[in-house]
Amino acid sequence: MKSPFNWLRPRSRQTEAPAKQVVAKPERTDRKIDLRAALNAVSDVVQNRPRPLRIFDQIHMKTGDMVMQSEIVADWSDGKRIAFIGDGDGISVCVTYLQAKGILPFGPVHITVFDFDERTVNAVNRFAEKNGINNLDAKLYNVLDALDTNLDFDLFYTNPPWGASNNGESVNVFVQRGIEATRFAGEGMVVIADDDELEWPKRVLASVQAFSLQNGYYVSKMQRKLHEYHLDDAPDLKSCNLYVGALPGNGARRTKSENITDEERLENFYGRSKAPRVHYVRERKRLEYGFAHDDEFELSMLGTKK
Amino acid sequence: MSTIVRPGEGILFMKIGTHAQEGLAEIIARKAEEIRSTGYGMWGYGGNTCHPTSMVQPFANIFAEQGREIHLCMEEMESNHYAEPLCAAEYSADGVEWKEIPPGIQVRGSKYALVIDQLHPESFKLRLDQTKVPVGPSMGRIGSRYIQGRVDKACLEILEHPELSNEAPAREIEIGLVARLVDPYAVFLRGQR
Repeated sequence: MKSPFNWLRPRSRQTEAPAKQVVAKPERTDRKIDLRAALNAVSDVVQNRPRPLRIFDQIHMKTGDMVMQSEIVADWSDGKRIAFIGDGDGISVCVTYLQAKGILPFGPVHITVFDFDERTVNAVNRFAEKNGINNLDAKLYNVLDALDTNLDFDLFYTNPPWGASNNGESVNVFVQRGIEATRFAGEGMVVIADDDELEWPKRVLASVQAFSLQNGYYVSKMQRKLHEYHLDDAPDLKSCNLYVGALPGNGARRTKSENITDEERLENFYGRSKAPRVHYVRERKRLEYGFAHDDEFELSMLGTKK
Repeated sequence: MSTIVRPGEGILFMKIGTHAQEGLAEIIARKAEEIRSTGYGMWGYGGNTCHPTSMVQPFANIFAEQGREIHLCMEEMESNHYAEPLCAAEYSADGVEWKEIPPGIQVRGSKYALVIDQLHPESFKLRLDQTKVPVGPSMGRIGSRYIQGRVDKACLEILEHPELSNEAPAREIEIGLVARLVDPYAVFLRGQR
């Protein structure tokens, strides 16, 4: 499917002058997207999104990049079922909301989000219900637990903790669950750090590619340095989309999903000296969900002295 | 030459000035008194470049495991910090277990605090191009390229030599105040009293 945001993507460098060709312009309706409506829709998602917990490496993507990423994911997943292995950013919600509002005329058949943060799970389910999004749901799940063996998705998407201090092992755990969710036979999009100056993102990229290969997956595409984040301590750090796909017949090597207890894999999971101790982040229930909390303000009445 | 800025040492660099509507001289006097009366003080700050559990504690542990001390090296700057001078009530090293802040310690207008047991004036120059970030998402970035714009504090490791580069003139920072960090190095704050 033609992507209406192709004009946003970097153009490949031509080494030779291309031969002159007459190319029929696609229908204008096929290329046009209401950017204002798209931005406002993503703004709705951002408003609904729980605030990030840095202690678990939750770092949110910037809004402009969320619009672009949502279109990329919708294009990639057109007509497919996706498992989101974690989704603090809310890309799953953006994709299905843009579909539901008719802003993107393509997208996945269904998305299920698996996240260990109950705030995220509830935010996704509440938003889907409120906005009549029928192809989105979310379940509470920690990647260290075995995955339900009945799951069967076409694609997986993950933007995991980036593994700066564990050579990408935390990314590999999320990728493993994605591979299991697609029964070793699907495709995946891994959002991962990408920087030319720093060494660790290169090591992590190499580790994730090696892990994918070990599991019968090959790297089919990479879109470099696409996204920026609300990240005070690395404001210039960007991430890429790394696409992996199963080799033909790879579904035959499917193995049983098991809990992850190997201490070497868990060491430095959320950063140096940060092994996981928390099973789930639980949401504190509030009546005033989505509104300013009572403890944020007090009222000073007209006609009263300070 | 300072004994603090030596290859292999870890320092925490921070620009300091007026904080929560209180002048620097008053803050220093108050912190010195906290250390005298309680045995340690809490130096309040904010921002994720020195997040307690993601940055400062992992950073400090690297050097503590080698038997090295970690120093907070501060550069004075003009600032107008308008945060409310609310005094935190509790602190936590891990964000899970919380304790009351001793009555003799006041940390005002801050989300986090460094735990220090020494504070003294000391003047020396710090070459930022002879430092690098040893932990976190900017791990490996040279200090002179890291500390710019909104980044005004950082965990840094001193390198053997400055980076050889024609990109920009070397940046030297005038350090005027030094503190020694002690376990648990950095804590979260909450509540009011």
